[in-house]
Amino acid sequence: MLTFFVIVPVLIAVLLYMLSTHKVAKFIAVFFQSALAVFAFFLVLSIHSEELTIFVGTYDDVMGIILYADALAAAFVLLTTFIFLLVSIYTLNQKESRTFWFLLFLLEAALIGLFFTRDLFNVFVLAEVSTVVIAVLLMYDRGKRSMFFGMVFLMLSVIAMQFYLLGLGYVYMMTGAMDMAYVAERITNMTRSELALPYALIMTTIGFKCALVPFFSWTPKVRVYPQAPTAVMAILSGLQIKSAIYLLLRFQGIFGVGASSELFLIIGIAAGLFGAFMAICQTDIRMILAYHTISQVGLIIIGINSGSYYSYIGGMYHIVSHAMFKTTLFLSAGIIVHSYGTGDAYKIRGVLKRMPLVAIGSIAAVLGITGAPLFIGSISKYFIAYDVPPLLNAATIIISLGTIISFIKYSYIFFGDSDLVGDIPVAERSRTIPTLILGVICLIGGVFGIWFIEFLFHTKVSISLIGYIQKSLIFAASVLAGLFIYKRFVKGNAFLVRFGAINFGFKAVCFSMSAFFAVILITVAFL
Amino acid sequence: MIFRYLEVFSIIMFFICIFGLITCNNIVKSIIFALMMQTAVIMFWLTIGRGSIPPIIDNTALLDNTSYIADPLPQALMLTAIIIGISVTAVIITMLNTLFRKHLMTDWKAMEKAEDEAFKESLYGDHLKD
Repeated sequence: MLTFFVIVPVLIAVLLYMLSTHKVAKFIAVFFQSALAVFAFFLVLSIHSEELTIFVGTYDDVMGIILYADALAAAFVLLTTFIFLLVSIYTLNQKESRTFWFLLFLLEAALIGLFFTRDLFNVFVLAEVSTVVIAVLLMYDRGKRSMFFGMVFLMLSVIAMQFYLLGLGYVYMMTGAMDMAYVAERITNMTRSELALPYALIMTTIGFKCALVPFFSWTPKVRVYPQAPTAVMAILSGLQIKSAIYLLLRFQGIFGVGASSELFLIIGIAAGLFGAFMAICQTDIRMILAYHTISQVGLIIIGINSGSYYSYIGGMYHIVSHAMFKTTLFLSAGIIVHSYGTGDAYKIRGVLKRMPLVAIGSIAAVLGITGAPLFIGSISKYFIAYDVPPLLNAATIIISLGTIISFIKYSYIFFGDSDLVGDIPVAERSRTIPTLILGVICLIGGVFGIWFIEFLFHTKVSISLIGYIQKSLIFAASVLAGLFIYKRFVKGNAFLVRFGAINFGFKAVCFSMSAFFAVILITVAFL
Repeated sequence: MIFRYLEVFSIIMFFICIFGLITCNNIVKSIIFALMMQTAVIMFWLTIGRGSIPPIIDNTALLDNTSYIADPLPQALMLTAIIIGISVTAVIITMLNTLFRKHLMTDWKAMEKAEDEAFKESLYGDHLKD
């Protein structure tokens, strides 16, 4: 059954490529997408009783290639299929050629394969496939394409993957296997200093793919540079970065190098604070969203590394909620930018009047990302800060404050009046509806958050009313403080804009990659 | 024993390539360094095939002679890695070709400057002007 999840998107891709002249083709694609999402739903349900393992090829046990689904993988696959379903509805009426759809579904297959595979070399292959597909998708728009960012992205990814391959070589040398479970079993007898080198090599790649702080500037640039199609931006921020976090979870599970979780806590806090600050500095709505991806990844990493169980669940749920609201925001930002002809947060006004449905979905997502009570972000942020030490708690509150300040800037686009007219004055229904659905999920996922967590991760958690009210009060206070800071310091501050525009070049990112590697190696080996 | 030397040599080569990537200002040379990095990793993988017990052998009597048999798995995997590396490099070189025709330069600094200006113009507009 698991193989179908990987094969069906490839078949859809080929089918669409052949049938592209027919109008039916797109509906077939959407039909298969929804079927896939439904199957993923039942997969999550059935995982509850037993985990699924499938051997590809004639070898079984550790020698073969294994597809494996546990609760974690199943939840990620449900997320992937669902978001790809909505994104494919979103691109339904766009005049994209068949190559675009072909690549889009190929990317889905690669991501699903990445979530299911238990073979470490398959991870390398699928990650490379998704990288190439993304690089081509990014430069898709022929009329105005610029290849430069695509090329830098591809080169950096290739270099980062060499770190992974070298680390994998060490793992194979020490354990003689490629299977995740078997490697984890064999690795338990080894000392920290033996494991330091492969761990550092592999974590460098994963840190790069997660867009952690030393690599900060290429990520938003690649995600947002104006030629990239909206659907690709949404998938990059909403899903592709989650695959890197999934790998981080898996490899931390395999290596079990406990003390490096402190290092990752520090990196997570740095990423959270830095991403939020850079988001405050931006003037383009898509850039605000792109930098927020970094800060939310920081929050997720704080959640999964802080060591407490509730925090871990919070981090996991934040992955889901981030995928939901970030996809909503990017899709609606795509509509807004099309409609107004600019992405400038200081110029766009009156979205609520011009496109009420898009605005409602978007506002729900904004409330979700800032952690407003009853919305999806509030549940995950509540659990992340549930029983962590006070210092970490303070860090999460400051990150939330940064989020709120930049989204106050963002929220101004909904109100007021404007006469800017871009490509399309009114949004089409096929683009509005996915945005609205995702916005509604941002609300449902908050109100029924506990049931969602139980369904996806099979653990029962409870929310204490007093604690939740406390969080809501902190949120209200943060909004007031955010409004004050925005009006007093941020609005029209030219220095901040200049600071937000700085970025690293190719060589600087290569340097930070090796520095990141050295820091992890030294921390794990000697501290 | 020679294989140990090769292992050390490939790791040194890997880090020399990183040094080259950090310092070299020419895009073509950067691509060559990235390729050399792949070669270093492939060489490392091929050295680890010796001395381990290949999964293809059922007969335990043969295991005394394992020093004559190389583990085929790393070789098979590296064939895949070579193919991936070549195809990705081909894509990168195609992109560089297009970029070279547009800018007529292969210099990181100059090209980043030219591309960044267009990027900033479209994203920050007149906020950066004053």
